[in-house]
Amino acid sequence: MDISGKSYKAFLKRQEALKKQYSEKQAEKQHSKGKLTAQERINLLFDPGTFEEIDTFVTPADQPVEFGKVERTYGDGVIVGYGKVNGRLIFAYAQDFTIMGGSLGAVHSQKIAKIQEMALKMGSPIIGMMDSGGARIQEGVASLSGYASIFQNIIHSSGIIPQISVIMGPAAGGAVYSPALTDFVFMVNHTSYMFVTGPNVVREVLNEEVTFDELGGAKVHACKSGVAHMIYDDEENTIMALKKFLTYLPSNNVENPPFVPEDNSTPDINDKLRDIVPDDPNKPYDVKDVINLIVDRNSFFETAELYAPNIVTGLARIKGKTIGIVANQPKVLAGVLDIDSSTKGARFIRFCDAFNIPIITLEDVPGFLPGVDQEHAGIIRNGAKLLFAYSEATVPRITVILRKAYGGAFIVMNCKKLGGDFSFAWPTAEIAVMGPDGAVAILYRKELAESSNPAELKKELVKKYRDKIANPFIADESGYIDEVIDPAVTRKKIISALQALSNKWVKVPSRKHGNMPL
Amino acid sequence: MSTLQIKKLYTLSSENRKFCFTLPLRNKIRIGKRDYVVSLKSDEKYGTYILWKNRKYPVEIIRSRQNSYEILFNDISYTFTVETPFSMKRMKVLNATKKKVEQESVKAPMPGKLIDVCVREGAVVQRGEPVVILEAMKMQNEIQSPVSGTVTRILVKPNANVMKDDLLVEIKVD
Repeated sequence: MDISGKSYKAFLKRQEALKKQYSEKQAEKQHSKGKLTAQERINLLFDPGTFEEIDTFVTPADQPVEFGKVERTYGDGVIVGYGKVNGRLIFAYAQDFTIMGGSLGAVHSQKIAKIQEMALKMGSPIIGMMDSGGARIQEGVASLSGYASIFQNIIHSSGIIPQISVIMGPAAGGAVYSPALTDFVFMVNHTSYMFVTGPNVVREVLNEEVTFDELGGAKVHACKSGVAHMIYDDEENTIMALKKFLTYLPSNNVENPPFVPEDNSTPDINDKLRDIVPDDPNKPYDVKDVINLIVDRNSFFETAELYAPNIVTGLARIKGKTIGIVANQPKVLAGVLDIDSSTKGARFIRFCDAFNIPIITLEDVPGFLPGVDQEHAGIIRNGAKLLFAYSEATVPRITVILRKAYGGAFIVMNCKKLGGDFSFAWPTAEIAVMGPDGAVAILYRKELAESSNPAELKKELVKKYRDKIANPFIADESGYIDEVIDPAVTRKKIISALQALSNKWVKVPSRKHGNMPL
Repeated sequence: MSTLQIKKLYTLSSENRKFCFTLPLRNKIRIGKRDYVVSLKSDEKYGTYILWKNRKYPVEIIRSRQNSYEILFNDISYTFTVETPFSMKRMKVLNATKKKVEQESVKAPMPGKLIDVCVREGAVVQRGEPVVILEAMKMQNEIQSPVSGTVTRILVKPNANVMKDDLLVEIKVD
């Protein structure tokens, strides 16, 4: 080819025009807000030199009616492509706020839909980095329909490839549903927002004064609404955490999670585990201390840390293989199951089940949270989600009862008859229909009322109940759990159980889908 | 991408002290205006330790979450975050616009009975220090201070029953 020929010159001219499109000034503007540009985000995510962009030179669709102005830029405000992250194929799209506020027009949405379809076809995870003002008003219905096609693609790929959204700027209106549909949502503190209607509309309609951060900031979604799973203070750390998170996930639902060799620095038998649960059943402890001693050193990655902290969920590794952890947290709200913790647990279990990640349950639960508040808000309906999710999961499921396992909560937290594969209990376990105080009050109501010294009698009966009923030995001797184990050997037992379960296969009856109580 | 090439990292301790070190990790660490020579080593016998002026100081990472760490050094625990030049700049931008919270109130997270109030009015509390012990669901929960500051008002007495979101203690932020 003649490099001074006409066609090559035209090619170079176009390259030159593309370069001019991204000015230092625009980058500076993003930086001054504490944000990075779309290119910088892509470069941070992918291994150096591996990212291949597609559809770089597409231009916005022609406007049907002349109203407002659409900038004729290359790329239409979104970068899409694929590359390697830690050596594995990943697809991604990143919206560019510097071009028309990252607004979503017809061509913009077609680009995203195209990369989504490719990711599904190749069976690779897809990352969406959102920084967009919303639907492009000038393009009207075309942009709305664009959103619909993106949603349809997400739902189509759900449970087949991991889909992760990273919110790095505003996401308002219909745009919020695209992250909400994906498996995990990362947000950046102070610079990202998600809401269906913004503060201006709230002010007009309801006369409520609220700031962007108070209405839909990262903190709000991580602590209160549960929309965001992981939040970090800046974009670099968000992307680094995302890269770490990806190392736990398989590329798709027919693959096993990647094996990361362990350095053998975690002892399989650890005496420290005996010292964590206090003798007094009314004293709390941090279940994360137990988790960190059971899983490979430093491998625990907690998800949705700030939302419903009375249940701890997260991914970790045991002997280099990914597992999912679901654990009651006695340190927060005594580790009760309430509406938020049930839905949080259920969604996490379903994710693990879809992507072949075995589930380890660490149980210390006093029961479901009583009260008008919870009953009226639907604890029955929401607690059933957790029950459904556990029962439906066909991946290996192992339970370790650390202390309390009372009532309905015992059933829900992966008991054997619910399809749990292995059920271990520590000697500190208390397995019964209800706690000692409640049980005694019901069974000996008359005696207690007639007694001359009810307090003394109650104390005596409570002790008797603890010795006779609320212990793990009855369940062990009647086969409702598999074994009462020394806490020190917990990791060893789990390793053996996981090895035994490595070829677990369950035949699921053919149906369109179950009807989960949503 | 020259703007994002990271050569220097900063460490911000929980008391807002700043340390600076260069990448790849060299033995020099700048604290204030002076450079110190230290090195991080590990072996079978002593585990991981910091070598400074020929003395060994054992270190252990207790907890890490992305860029924030809690370490045990000479049996004292320290929390700190690791920052890049860009994130330091960003922090400055955000701090300039952020409103300062002056008063923080501690509320009951769930209905229950107060077992103990661990602080007095006028007491100085650190973030994470227990303020009251609340028994709920037959579990004694430590309710911790969300901030460091001075206790201005205590609204409850031991053995009182409290409802969810009842005000327990007010703390003036330092």
